[in-house]
Amino acid sequence: MANTQSIERLGSIDRLPSLKTALAAITGVMMLVDLYLIFMVAPTDSVLGHVQRVFYFHVPIAIMSFLAFFIVFIGSLMYLIKRTPKWDAIAHASAEVGVVFVTLALITGIIWARPIWNTWWTWEPRLTTTMILWLIYVAYLMVRSYAPSQSKGAIYAAVVGIIGFIDVPIVYYSVVWWRSIHPSPVVGPFAQADALDGTMAWILLYSFITFVFFFAYMVAERMELRKTEEALGRIRFILRRRGR
Amino acid sequence: MLDFILLSTHLPSSNLPYLFAAFAVSWVVLFGYLFYVNRRQHEMKKEIARLQSVLDQSDEEE
Amino acid sequence: MTGLLGPMMVIVWKDVLLELRSRDLVVSVVVFGLLVVVVFNFALNNTPGRSEELAPGILWSAFAFAAVLAMNRAFVRDQEQGGLEGLLISPVSRDAIFLGKALTSLIFMLLVEAALLPIYAVMLDFSALSWMLILTIFLGTLGFAVVGTLFSAIAVQTRSREIMLPVLFFPVLLPVIIAAVEASTRAIGGETFVGLGRWLPLIGVFDALFLVICPWVFGFVVEE
Repeated sequence: MANTQSIERLGSIDRLPSLKTALAAITGVMMLVDLYLIFMVAPTDSVLGHVQRVFYFHVPIAIMSFLAFFIVFIGSLMYLIKRTPKWDAIAHASAEVGVVFVTLALITGIIWARPIWNTWWTWEPRLTTTMILWLIYVAYLMVRSYAPSQSKGAIYAAVVGIIGFIDVPIVYYSVVWWRSIHPSPVVGPFAQADALDGTMAWILLYSFITFVFFFAYMVAERMELRKTEEALGRIRFILRRRGR
Repeated sequence: MLDFILLSTHLPSSNLPYLFAAFAVSWVVLFGYLFYVNRRQHEMKKEIARLQSVLDQSDEEE
Repeated sequence: MTGLLGPMMVIVWKDVLLELRSRDLVVSVVVFGLLVVVVFNFALNNTPGRSEELAPGILWSAFAFAAVLAMNRAFVRDQEQGGLEGLLISPVSRDAIFLGKALTSLIFMLLVEAALLPIYAVMLDFSALSWMLILTIFLGTLGFAVVGTLFSAIAVQTRSREIMLPVLFFPVLLPVIIAAVEASTRAIGGETFVGLGRWLPLIGVFDALFLVICPWVFGFVVEE
């Protein structure tokens, strides 16, 4: 009991835990429903069979990873302009969770590609742009941890977040144009994955919303971790000042 | 008859391993990350508690 | 505008003079450029029949790697000599500093590329006598210089500066590399500006966009 009091003396661990618990609960329920929908309700694709169900995870995760990067962009912009730490915290947490999501998007994309297109990888616009997005996220996190100080790291990362976000659409279109000249022999049925029937479409939408909550929960966890990191930093600072 | 043959060559039945792999990887990665965050949180809180007692001790000494 | 141009040119002049006096950077980057072409030539199995297809790619790979190397070394040396700090203390605007540095890198790389191009034309068997090719190389290198200068300024402050610049540079500049290779392929094939399609305008838009954004964020990177 005494310890919690002193942590609060040092800093602020406020409403975050209860928001976190709420998000966790909502996510948990939604995910269970989602899995039920994916495996019990969704129709089996006539051409691709059951493996098509990966789609209900892969697509929302991929879209979420791009959305996360948009949040990183906004957070970075706001941080550079206003310098309030909370914007940096949002950007940082979103970037870290974002990396997890892009990684997963790539992995599920590769697993998805093999049975559908008979190849593990193809340099088509969406996959390539996702790969580049991954690289930019990683560069964002690297710059942050290799910077000479926390505050500098935040600024450098913000710059990368902004430049990177502006660059991603350009990357996408350049690969689209490139591909129109060097067409891939792989033109799978889900290369244009928009030929959806009604049930599939709304299950996909529901799955997406589930992952939005999942993302929000993970960001909340990461932000609370950051608060703890800061509290630890503060107490170390005090102790160092006292020569211990 | 021809339709039937074409249809059965089209039924992709052996792709279930991929289906399983994709979902399994998703769970492992997502929960792996959450687990990692929670563990660091736990370790840091322990460290804070420890340093807090050092701080309290030095308070008493002063 | 003149307030920008004056200090800019002073910076450029000083850096270029510095470089011409020692010459070590130019020489080492040119040598590096040659090494890259040799390696790629064998790695990609460049037989006479395939040269036409592979040449633009090898060319731009070499230019891109050389650019990263050159800018990395330039900024490291600058940091060791405290050049940037000195500039920041002076009343010169951040924009002028950034543009000056970028222009210096641009001039430097164009010189390196001018030295390498004839050699490449011989080794990779293509005709470099094309205005469109020159224009493509200019615009592409401009993109490298603008974004590269910003990222160099960041990378040089980090713990692992040699790896940080490439990690930042290559993903962001991928569209320029794609477009430059495509445009170069057509330029070497004798196409006119129209025949180059959307590729050169893509590089142009990229350059214009980042010529506006990079100086602005540069201010945040170097602030104290």
